[in-house]
Amino acid sequence: MKSLLPRLGLIATVLFAGLVTASAADSKLVVALLPKSKGNAYFLSCKNGADKAAKELGIELLFDGPTDSNAAKQNEIVENWITLGVDVIAVAAENKEGISTALRKAQKQGIKVITYDADSMPDSRSFFVNQATPQGIGYGLMDEAARLAGGEGEFAMITASLTAANQREWQKYIEARLKEKYPKMKLVAVRPCDDLKDKAQSEATALMSANPNLKLIMAICSPGVPGAAEAVKQAGKTGKVKVVGLGLPNENKRYVHGGVTDSVILWNTEHLGYLTVYAGTALAKGTLKPGAKTFKAGTLGEFQIQGDNILLGTPFIFNRGNIDQFDF
Amino acid sequence: MKRYFRELSVVGALGVGLLGLAIFAPAFFQPQPLLSLVTREAPTLVVACGMAFVIICRQIDISVGSMFSVCSVCAGLLAARGWPLLLVLPAAVALGALLGAVNGLLVAGLRLPSIVVTLATMVTLRQGLNLVRQGEFVNLPDRVQWFGLSQTAGQLVLVAGAVALLVALGLAMRHLAAGRFVYAVGTDAEAARLAGIRPQLVTFLVFGFVGALTGLAAMMNLAQSPQVQPLSGLGLELKVIAAVVVGGVAISGGRGNLWGAFAGLLLLACVAPALTHLHIEAYWEKAIQGAIILLAVVADGVRSRKGGTG
Repeated sequence: MKSLLPRLGLIATVLFAGLVTASAADSKLVVALLPKSKGNAYFLSCKNGADKAAKELGIELLFDGPTDSNAAKQNEIVENWITLGVDVIAVAAENKEGISTALRKAQKQGIKVITYDADSMPDSRSFFVNQATPQGIGYGLMDEAARLAGGEGEFAMITASLTAANQREWQKYIEARLKEKYPKMKLVAVRPCDDLKDKAQSEATALMSANPNLKLIMAICSPGVPGAAEAVKQAGKTGKVKVVGLGLPNENKRYVHGGVTDSVILWNTEHLGYLTVYAGTALAKGTLKPGAKTFKAGTLGEFQIQGDNILLGTPFIFNRGNIDQFDF
Repeated sequence: MKRYFRELSVVGALGVGLLGLAIFAPAFFQPQPLLSLVTREAPTLVVACGMAFVIICRQIDISVGSMFSVCSVCAGLLAARGWPLLLVLPAAVALGALLGAVNGLLVAGLRLPSIVVTLATMVTLRQGLNLVRQGEFVNLPDRVQWFGLSQTAGQLVLVAGAVALLVALGLAMRHLAAGRFVYAVGTDAEAARLAGIRPQLVTFLVFGFVGALTGLAAMMNLAQSPQVQPLSGLGLELKVIAAVVVGGVAISGGRGNLWGAFAGLLLLACVAPALTHLHIEAYWEKAIQGAIILLAVVADGVRSRKGGTG
C-alpha cells in the first residue's frame, strides 16, 4: 500500500499535465464569472449578458458562486479557479477586504482580475466595471425618494446586510445627498433584511408601527423592495407610505401596478454582464490597458473609463409607465 | 412549579421584555402591525415544534430551511398551475414528509450521524433548487393569499392554526405513548430498546414528522404573500434550533417540551421589532440573540453540573 501511493501520485501528475496541455492546445480563452450568490435573479440576468458576450467573442465562460451571500465560499471558488488556471476572473465581491487576498494571489499567477457590481481592494484587480457609481445610485435613490415624499418628512431604509461593501457605499451617498439637499427629510432607521423578502416584510411592518409619521421606505437590496411593499399593503398604508428601491422589474410589477411601489431603480444588468466579459477578454488579450480613457464593447459601443472604473452609465428608473417593457 | 422552572424563566424574560416595551415603546402593541408580525412567525412555530421533537430524540435536522424552500417553491408552482389549495396543502405536507423520510432512512436505517446527513440534504436541496429555479420568484394567483379570505381573517386562521397545533402536539408529547417514546429514545436508546421500544423506528418517524411539519409551514408562509422567493427559509434551521434550545430543550436529548420552545421562539422573534421600536441600531440584533442563546446554554450547563434532574 505504502509503495503504491507515490506511484498513484505520479500517475495523477501525468494525467493532470496531460489535461493542462490539452486545454492549452485548444487555447480558448477562459473567463470565470463569480456572482455574490448564484441563485439570485439579479446575477442570472448579468449572466445572460455575459453569455451573449462570450458567444460573440468565442471564449469559454465559467459561472459559479455561493448559493447564499457567503464571503468565505467566494474565496474558495477563486482558489479553485487559480488551480484550474483560468485566464480571467471577474468578481462581484461580497466582502471587499476578504476576497482581495485570493485575488492578489490570482494576479501573481498571471490571471487577469476584474471586478463588477461590488469592488474589491483596488490593488487586487485591474479594473472595476462600475454598474453606476455609488454616487449615481445614492443620489438617484435619494432624489427619487425626495421627489415622492415632496421633499420633507421621515423615511427609513432597508438594506441587505450592514456589512456588504456596496450597500454601505450607497448608503453613504444617500446620506450625503440627504444632508446636502433635503434638510427637511429625516432618515429614522436603517434595518437589514439578510436578502430575504420575508424578513424585509417584518422589518417594514415594525418600522411603520414604530414611526407613525413615516412617509417612505427605501429598500436598497432587491428582495427588500417587494418585501417592504407587501408590508405597506398589509398595513393598509398604500399611498400613505411610499416605497422606492433598488430592485428587479419582475419582482415588483404587481406592486408598481397596484400603486404600492412608485419607482424601482436599477441599471441594465444584462449590459453589466456583457461589458464585464468584454472588458475581461480585452484585458487578457492586451487590448485594454490601465490608463485607457474609453473602452468599446461589442454592440453596446463606447464606455467611459474614470481612473480604473469602467462606467456603465446612469441608473434607470422603472415605473408604472415603462416596467412592463422589461422581463428579468 | 419547580419542574417547569426552566421554561418559566424564559416566559419571565419574555414578560420583562414585553413590560419594558409597554413602558418605553407602547406603539409595539398596536393590533394590526402586531398581528402581521405574529403571523409571520406562525410558520416558524410549526417548524420549531418539529425541531423540538427531533432534538428531544437526540438528533438534529439542519435541512429544514432547505426543505422549507423546496416545499414553498413546489407548492407555489402547483398553485400557479391552477391546483386548488385543498390539494396543494396535502401535496406540500406530503413532499415535506417524503424529504424528511429520506433523512430518517439515512439516519435510522444506515445509522449515520444526523448532523452530517442533514447537512448533506440541506446543501443538496438548496443547490438543486437554485439550479432549477435560478432564484426566480414564483408569482401566485390572487386567490392564494390568505386562502381567499380577508387579510385579518387569514392571519387569524394562520395564527390560531399554529397555536392549535402547538397545543395538540404539546399534549400528545406528554400524554401519548408515542410522545413518551421520543423522550425514552432521546434519553437512552438502548434502555428504550430493552423496554420494547424500537428506537430506529421512532427516529425515522420523527424525521418524517418534522418534514411534514416543514411542508405545512411552507404552505402557511405561501398564504401570506402573492409571491414566493426561492431563498425563503434560508437560515430557518438556525432560527428554530435557537428557539428550541433557548426554550430549555436539551441538545443532548431527552429533556424539554414544546411550551418552552414556544416561549424561546417568541423571545428571539421579539428582538428585531423591539429594537426598531426602541430606535436602537440594528447591529445589536444578532448580538442580543446570541447572548440569549449563550445565557440559555450556560444556564443548562450549570444546572446539569449541579446534578439537577429535569
